[in-house]
Amino acid sequence: MLENIKNHRGLWVVAGLALLLAFWPSLVPRFYVYLVSLMLVTGLLATSLNLVLGFGGLYQFHHAVFYGVGAYGAALMIKWSGLSPWWGLLVGPLAAALLSLVIGIICVRLSQLYYGMLQISLGSLVWAIVFRWYSFTGGDDGIHGIAVPGAIASVSGAYWFTLAVTAACLLVMYLVINSPFGRVLMATRDNSERAEMIGVHLIGHQLIALVIAGFFGGVAGVLFVVVEGSVFPDMMFWTLSLEILVMCLLGGWFTFMGPMLGAAMMVGLRTVVGIYTEYWTLVLGVILMLLIFFLPQGVLGFIGAKRTPAMAHSRRED
Amino acid sequence: MDATSHITLASLAQQVLVGLSRTTILFIVSSGLSLILGVLRIPNLSHGSLYMIGAFVTYSAAVFIGGSTGFWLALIIAPAVVALLSLAVERGLLRFLYDREHLMLLLFTFALTLVFGDLVKLIWGSDYRSLTAPPLLQGSFDLAGLPFPRYNLFLLLLGPLVALGLWLLTNKTKIGKLAKAAAVDREMVAAMGINVSWVFAAVFCIGCFLAGLGGALVAPTQNITQGMDHTIIMEAFLIVIIGGLGNMWGALLGALIFGLTDAIGILVWPQFAIVFPYVAVVVVLVFRPKGLLQSTW
Amino acid sequence: MLSVRGLKKYFGHFKAVSDANLTVNQGEVVAVIGPNGAGKTTLFRLISGQLKPSGGEIIFKGRPIGGLAPHQVCRRGISLSYQVVSVFGRMSVFENVQVAVLARRRQVHRLFTPARRLAVDETWEILESVGLQDRAQAVSGSLSHGDGKLLEMAIALGNRPELLIMDEPTAGMSPEETQATIELIRRLTQKMGLTILLCEHDMELVFSVADRIMVMQSGRTIAEGACDQVRCNQQVQQAYLGEPADA
Repeated sequence: MLENIKNHRGLWVVAGLALLLAFWPSLVPRFYVYLVSLMLVTGLLATSLNLVLGFGGLYQFHHAVFYGVGAYGAALMIKWSGLSPWWGLLVGPLAAALLSLVIGIICVRLSQLYYGMLQISLGSLVWAIVFRWYSFTGGDDGIHGIAVPGAIASVSGAYWFTLAVTAACLLVMYLVINSPFGRVLMATRDNSERAEMIGVHLIGHQLIALVIAGFFGGVAGVLFVVVEGSVFPDMMFWTLSLEILVMCLLGGWFTFMGPMLGAAMMVGLRTVVGIYTEYWTLVLGVILMLLIFFLPQGVLGFIGAKRTPAMAHSRRED
Repeated sequence: MDATSHITLASLAQQVLVGLSRTTILFIVSSGLSLILGVLRIPNLSHGSLYMIGAFVTYSAAVFIGGSTGFWLALIIAPAVVALLSLAVERGLLRFLYDREHLMLLLFTFALTLVFGDLVKLIWGSDYRSLTAPPLLQGSFDLAGLPFPRYNLFLLLLGPLVALGLWLLTNKTKIGKLAKAAAVDREMVAAMGINVSWVFAAVFCIGCFLAGLGGALVAPTQNITQGMDHTIIMEAFLIVIIGGLGNMWGALLGALIFGLTDAIGILVWPQFAIVFPYVAVVVVLVFRPKGLLQSTW
Repeated sequence: MLSVRGLKKYFGHFKAVSDANLTVNQGEVVAVIGPNGAGKTTLFRLISGQLKPSGGEIIFKGRPIGGLAPHQVCRRGISLSYQVVSVFGRMSVFENVQVAVLARRRQVHRLFTPARRLAVDETWEILESVGLQDRAQAVSGSLSHGDGKLLEMAIALGNRPELLIMDEPTAGMSPEETQATIELIRRLTQKMGLTILLCEHDMELVFSVADRIMVMQSGRTIAEGACDQVRCNQQVQQAYLGEPADA
């Protein structure tokens, strides 16, 4: 890691940002603490999607379903089980990972658009069940006033928890992407047929990636419960899935931090635009069009292309 | 599951007929989507928005003109307006993106969805509208002791007409044949000295016309609201996928499966009726991942 | 080492391969020749597991491998370098080869070890052996066609195969590049003891590197044997070598 920081100016930026984030609640009013919490949660969600989208090349059109299942898993566990709420926070991501495995097994043999469409239909099925099962999930009202553990219930408590968990998750995902597993995942993205020919079990490899992505999507969902104290079915509606796709595109989906940046920009922009007009989606639509036409590599991809990164591989024994 | 015991043959028949008339609208919308997918290879998410715009324009035109004539004229005006709008979008923006990957095209049409959604809010406000059918199509007639709405009968008769029209268009006209050829091999059609770009524009326009027509026809049967775009587009996509991308008969078959499972779901287990068609889709796709009929891809 | 007997592959009614027979012994270079459409590429795809045979058997090192998935065939020790350049386009040349080495070492499921420290020396060795060491950091999608073909071979070598299958290794190469490839093939067999099965249209290359030749026509093996033997075969001359256009 130390060597990394020396080589990459980007990591200096991250370090400075980390310092700022560490003192954030003592610097700004509560609303901005809440806003940054939301950015972190959304950023974690987008990063988990990008693991399979940008690095795995899988058209995961409905990733929000794992966000929703993570959140509902935690909320329902807290509401119905009577156990310590911490258990709920653990169950959420596990439920999401399990669902990701099930949906993955059904979809993964398909390619590209077919994969995406089957995935979106299975996700919509989950949404439909949650949306209708009033007695258990609260239906379209959702569940409000969820009793999260007292230690992290306050705005700043939730912020600290979110920051710590998000940072840990990002670190793990960073390691995964730069591991042999990640390299091979990128190889399957670039050329799945060839990857099989060099001895990669394609479907197995993609499934593992999907489960990891689903798990971290679920973690994001749990963090949302901690920050908001409520869940609602819109969290797993397909339009949100496409919005996080846009975040990945905005930040740059062949970069690791791109989705986080994209999510922060989108959440921030929505708040700012929301002050002036109720037509946020119109603004978002126009931004998206401009992106597609003029910046298809995303912000970080654009910056990266400007200064070609040195990918030094020193000759050293492994 | 108490409701099961109340199902009679007549109520089942009635529900199936209602399902079939809903199938008509689903078919019209999804055949347009399928046409665009098959020829242009664009997963057009804004198709649902165009359907919603079709419904709102129908309302406004019918109210502005007034009376029965208003409704009948609106049925023609609304799809035409939608088709013109789509032509403007295609010529102005979309055609510059044809060489991009599917994901970019999908996101672009998502951007259109966002813009159209707010434009509708800007023009028509957030309130819902409702439109009554002309007297000829109001009320219901008796079907084995149960009432069957006349408007549904009208839809049932219209469905096959649209299917026939589409079949004639794709198989008997020059533009249809060109579109079919371009779907298989763009370069070859271009090499024949034909402007593929305009073939695409025409196909996109026709596909969106169908979205507008679907919206116009649905207008008297339900509240015209914000958000009707989100529901229909997901349904239409699923129909196209289970039928086989780009296959018109597949769209018909998919719409039948979707409409009927929905109708039967309402009868059997109203609370979870919404789940039935999704389950049907999942079952179809698990066994036939590329759809029931031959895809043109 | 490899033995193919009565191999068949039908696509509907079309018989792409109807009766292919082939023997490859340890350390040999065997060339498959035949006119376009004779079924050479289909034969290679059958051996490498990309296609499932309709009949017949493929024995590698005494065990049947017909119908195995590509990654299983690869793990048995067979690698294929493609006719068209088919690499991992967004990754660097180095990473392309490294991924193959990692796959062979069964390290692909390591989730938390940094990949940049793994398999570095072996990857450099392979890059140097094909002469791509100067392009190691280039994005593989931006390579010239000749370099792309070299990378093709480097990826296949990354699996450290016992049998390397090369589908037209010099297709689209310049004369100088072709000459370099011939030398590379010789080096691979003589220094590394690799067994090679290749198909090629360039007869000069075939006769200069191959120990034995198998001739295919319309999906069937019509001759198999040492170079001179095949050269003299009447049927072969009629079917293929005797074509005036080829002279």
